[in-house]
Amino acid sequence: MRKQWLLCVLPKTLTLARRSHPFSSSSSGGGVAVKKVTKANFESTLEDLRTRVREADFVAIDLEMTGVTSAPWRECFEFDRSDVRYLKVKDSAEKFAVVQFGVCPFRWDSSRGSFLAYPHNFFVFPRKELPLDGPAYEFLCQTTSMNFLAKYQFDFNACIHEGISYLSRAQEAEALSKLSSAYENELTNSTNTSQENLEIPIVSTADLLFTERIKNRFHEWRNGIMKNSCTDHYLKEEPGCVMSQFQTVFFKMRPAVELNGFNSHQMKLIQLVLRKHFEDLVFIRTPGEEVVFEKKVVYTDSEEDKALLMREVLEDLHRSKEARVRSAVGLRHVIDCLVSEQKLIVGHNCFLDIAHVYSKFFGPLPSSIMEFALSVHENFPNIVDTKHLLNSSHALQYLMKKSSKSLSSAFSLLCPEISSYPMKSAHASYVKFEVQADEAGSSNWTSGAKHEAGFDAFMTGCLFAQECAHLGIKFDLSSPLTNLATNEKLKGYINLLYPSWNSGTVIDLTTGIEKPESNYKRKYPTVLFSNIVLLWGFPSKFKPKDLKDCISKVFGASSVTSIFFLDYTAALVQFSKKEFVNDFLMLKDTLERNPDDPISVLNPLAGLLEGDNTRAADYDTYKTICSSSASKVLFADQAEAAGIRWKTLFSSHSPEAGSSAETRLHSHHVSCEDIIDTLYAARSVS
Amino acid sequence: MNPISSPSPLNRLGTSPVHPRPPPIAIHGAGSFPSTPRRQPTSRPSTLPRDSSCSSLLSALFAFSAPRYNFHLFPRDELNLGMPSYSFSCQSSSLTSMAREGFDFNACIYDGITYSSRAQESVARDRNPVPRMRLMTSSSSPSVADSVFMGRIKSRVETWWKACRDPGKAVDGSLVLSLRKLILGGELYGSRPCLGIDVSSDHQVQLVLKVVGQICDDLVPLIVPDKQGEIKTVRLILTSSEDDKNLLLTEIQSLEEEEDLKVRGFREVLDVISRSHKPIIGYNCLHDFTFIHSKFIAPLPPSMAEFMCSLRLAFCEILDIIHLLKEVGPLRKANNVPAALSYLRRQFFTPVELEIPPQVDSNDKNHGHNVLQIAYLFAKLNNLLKIVPDHQPALEQDTRQVKDFANIFYPCSTTLQDSDDEDIGSQAEKSKKFGTDNVVLLWGFRAGISAAGLKRQLHGIHSVFSENFELQLVDRTCAIVIFHVPGSVENLLEDMRSGSIGSGSLKEMMSDGLKVTGYEAYKKVCRMGLWEADLAESLEMVSSEQTDDLPSNCKNDTSEIYWSSELMINLNDI
Repeated sequence: MRKQWLLCVLPKTLTLARRSHPFSSSSSGGGVAVKKVTKANFESTLEDLRTRVREADFVAIDLEMTGVTSAPWRECFEFDRSDVRYLKVKDSAEKFAVVQFGVCPFRWDSSRGSFLAYPHNFFVFPRKELPLDGPAYEFLCQTTSMNFLAKYQFDFNACIHEGISYLSRAQEAEALSKLSSAYENELTNSTNTSQENLEIPIVSTADLLFTERIKNRFHEWRNGIMKNSCTDHYLKEEPGCVMSQFQTVFFKMRPAVELNGFNSHQMKLIQLVLRKHFEDLVFIRTPGEEVVFEKKVVYTDSEEDKALLMREVLEDLHRSKEARVRSAVGLRHVIDCLVSEQKLIVGHNCFLDIAHVYSKFFGPLPSSIMEFALSVHENFPNIVDTKHLLNSSHALQYLMKKSSKSLSSAFSLLCPEISSYPMKSAHASYVKFEVQADEAGSSNWTSGAKHEAGFDAFMTGCLFAQECAHLGIKFDLSSPLTNLATNEKLKGYINLLYPSWNSGTVIDLTTGIEKPESNYKRKYPTVLFSNIVLLWGFPSKFKPKDLKDCISKVFGASSVTSIFFLDYTAALVQFSKKEFVNDFLMLKDTLERNPDDPISVLNPLAGLLEGDNTRAADYDTYKTICSSSASKVLFADQAEAAGIRWKTLFSSHSPEAGSSAETRLHSHHVSCEDIIDTLYAARSVS
Repeated sequence: MNPISSPSPLNRLGTSPVHPRPPPIAIHGAGSFPSTPRRQPTSRPSTLPRDSSCSSLLSALFAFSAPRYNFHLFPRDELNLGMPSYSFSCQSSSLTSMAREGFDFNACIYDGITYSSRAQESVARDRNPVPRMRLMTSSSSPSVADSVFMGRIKSRVETWWKACRDPGKAVDGSLVLSLRKLILGGELYGSRPCLGIDVSSDHQVQLVLKVVGQICDDLVPLIVPDKQGEIKTVRLILTSSEDDKNLLLTEIQSLEEEEDLKVRGFREVLDVISRSHKPIIGYNCLHDFTFIHSKFIAPLPPSMAEFMCSLRLAFCEILDIIHLLKEVGPLRKANNVPAALSYLRRQFFTPVELEIPPQVDSNDKNHGHNVLQIAYLFAKLNNLLKIVPDHQPALEQDTRQVKDFANIFYPCSTTLQDSDDEDIGSQAEKSKKFGTDNVVLLWGFRAGISAAGLKRQLHGIHSVFSENFELQLVDRTCAIVIFHVPGSVENLLEDMRSGSIGSGSLKEMMSDGLKVTGYEAYKKVCRMGLWEADLAESLEMVSSEQTDDLPSNCKNDTSEIYWSSELMINLNDI
């Protein structure tokens, strides 16, 4: 039985315990029924969700993660080169875990003239459900993000105790292939029952006694069966003895005995006894309740019958394992459903979300942003970003004026009648929404709150529909909605995402090409990556100004265009001319080669090289270090973990540098001019 | 094999300061080494909760009363300095098993106490701008520039001081007052007048302090750093009398302490334990102490010896119950606390009972339980082994001192899952020692092959593989091989490098990507903290970087590793 609530009356009819949260902002919603999905109700919800997605016009998604950046220097900077920026997103998606997955299918109900929304809030936890011998699942948590989640009352207990696990496509394929190879192995092993290992290693008298006893016991049992007599009298004969567990059952039409109450050592002995003395008794393991195997001894008529039985048992085992893999796929069923239905996916600033979806549910992230974009496009042919819509449509920009583009503020501005109560008289331009919830199992319903994935997905979807309305897409009573993804008015906005909030670019998923965004206001001048030197490991007392002064003394007052500190151990220095990059690296190398030379001591750069740990290289090295999998808090430590041992690296493709042998030659050849230059420079310091 | 390198979260620690005996310690972390059984907490920065139980031993009655403390810890970045940790890593299996034990993650993350290590505290002190008092250090005779500076400061301070002191002008109008304030640069510190003097260096701070000392006793200088931790101002606060000055001083002191406590957080508890110089008991606690060291003292040093040194400075006596158990013959094989306890209960009479205080929250399993069990076991063993505290006179002949047992750890013992399984002793100790120069790591074989299969493949493909060797898979991409014949490693590495391997299957395997490296490369991988899940990936990175010096390093490394024959594959079995 289903009951529908119109949003405006929701607060009165919905008697859910509201989550207490300290934010009385109008955008907190607070009254929208969001379905909480955990391990317990996952299976049933999944079936329901499949239908909802199939009928939906679009599906909004949102993710909550355990963190965003694994180290301060891995934050996205405005002047990052596109490939470096992607590496940072990739690092984030690979290292952090998704703890909540919000899915909200929206369907236009033309008879009511409103959208029906079904917000779902999946709790996710990457549990290791299959006993594969892969590495342990490990993920990072950023303390500030955890605090943020805690601030919004995120239920960590529900997540860790009850969260739904998942396998990516790659993991599932691996698990299945491992399974089938193990199956084949066992099949071949079972057929050639060789004579090896028939000696029973008797370590103690207790073992000896036990094996003798077991042997007799099985003899009696087998003879009993052969004679077709009732086996019950065995129980009556010796009640309370060890063998009282012996009770004839039937397994696949054959008489069998269940082995209970033996420890693993005894099980081993039983197997040995059976193999040595009983050709026609087979020890088998069958998948029982949960993870435990039921162990049985089965009587077989003949060799053929024995082989047949073994095959049957193995097949059963295989099937049960396959079923376990299927159930371990878990949350990916939801993603698979989204992919197979090819619906329009709506997110808010969702590039990182998509990267998470990719790495968690598809497979390892590709190494380049282009490959990534194309691969995402194959799976999700239509993605639209509500934030991009806000920024690029003039009509919406006019509405938003200068206000914040964050999800909740955009939501409360564009969809005021949902976000605030009591509802004002319905304005014609506002799209209407209804949230549907089952009455049954009301404990699974929570009233949505900001920064909860399910509710955020709901907000995103509402925002999107409202944006569509402002773009001139008509949602009319009693007229069905045409496919939004192919709508002319949306065409210019679909499949364009921001690689990061401050990149100033959009990536087109259909082509994989990144273009600058016209509306973005840059804080920094355009960066010439070939003019950049990466410096790290310098004395910690150096501040940006000191660094600039120091370099300017050698290369001239206007030589340094900008300096950016990644953290207090590393900086990017942009020179005004490309040549300076190599000149700088070479000078540094020269100074380090002759540390006691008066010229080196007097050079203004000497201060920078203090501590003998200052490294320098070109921008490509920055990329290399970013791509290293290590995760050190300080950039200098990271560089070391990335395996950098040298002090200065010349860019290989610059004509002046040439081969390393050449540079060495060059650096040893100090001309008079150099000396004079250096002395001059040194004087200007003092 | 290098537990010292990785940072990770603690989540609880149990302590039990016993009178006059040691506090037992048990910690729970949020992660563990990929290959060790659960219950083994690990590393990467963060601590969740801790529990500690204080029990006092009434020696006459031999009974413990054990009030217990259950601390929840969470590495909150209170000062926004990325401390105690910017991020931490969790192993999902560890979190799952904590969940199974009823751990309350919400309590831990919402309300967990933060902490910082001693090393971090000093960094925070530098970077957290809190006004402080500072003692004057004696300085050399001032230069001319210094004298000028001092003179200027002196006259300025004196003018201000006189103006403040002169009661006659108090009747001036508010305009005059505010004008004077503007000219003199006076401010208020609480209700007291104060004057800010801008300084640019530490040296100038000293000079200002010197001048102030000469002028008057009732001025209290306070050094104010800016956001970057650099000293920009010295603030002089004028007090009205000696009492007032003392009052101010205590005020400032308590403010400083409050700030410090906020930074130290839970470490205060550990400091109390450390200062008490009481022996500390733990069970298989080497690992726990690597946590304690990295979270509360300083980052872990590169070698075990340095770690032990540093640890002893903080905690003078640590008793590992595992070591005590080895003293009692039959208990040698008890591999967990409940098993040892149940054995003791059956076999020995020890007149020690533990009074467990009534449980307030009896509905969920208590995390302090471990600590109580450890304390209980310790008490029993103590009695059995007749150990007396160091400072108490020995009453009987055969008593022993705590220090006889202290500070002995077992680095590679793994704790098995708690179970009251009775068959202690089914596992015989069969570890063997091998020099690391007999070890190679092998990768580039078909992923997913079994150890036995790989061993069969290797058998006979090179002269070294025809001798007896042992092989174990480290993960699905990498295997470790141990040779019994000395020199095999060098032979193999040399032949593989030079390519003089003749023909046949080794060459074929090599062209399929088989690679071999010495133990040193493994050590390097451990040190670098790479994130790659497959060991082969990491080894590839390390060995591609410098192929030359690996064999040479191999030779001068004489450390030993333990090889348990439990895991061994016998060629005859195949």
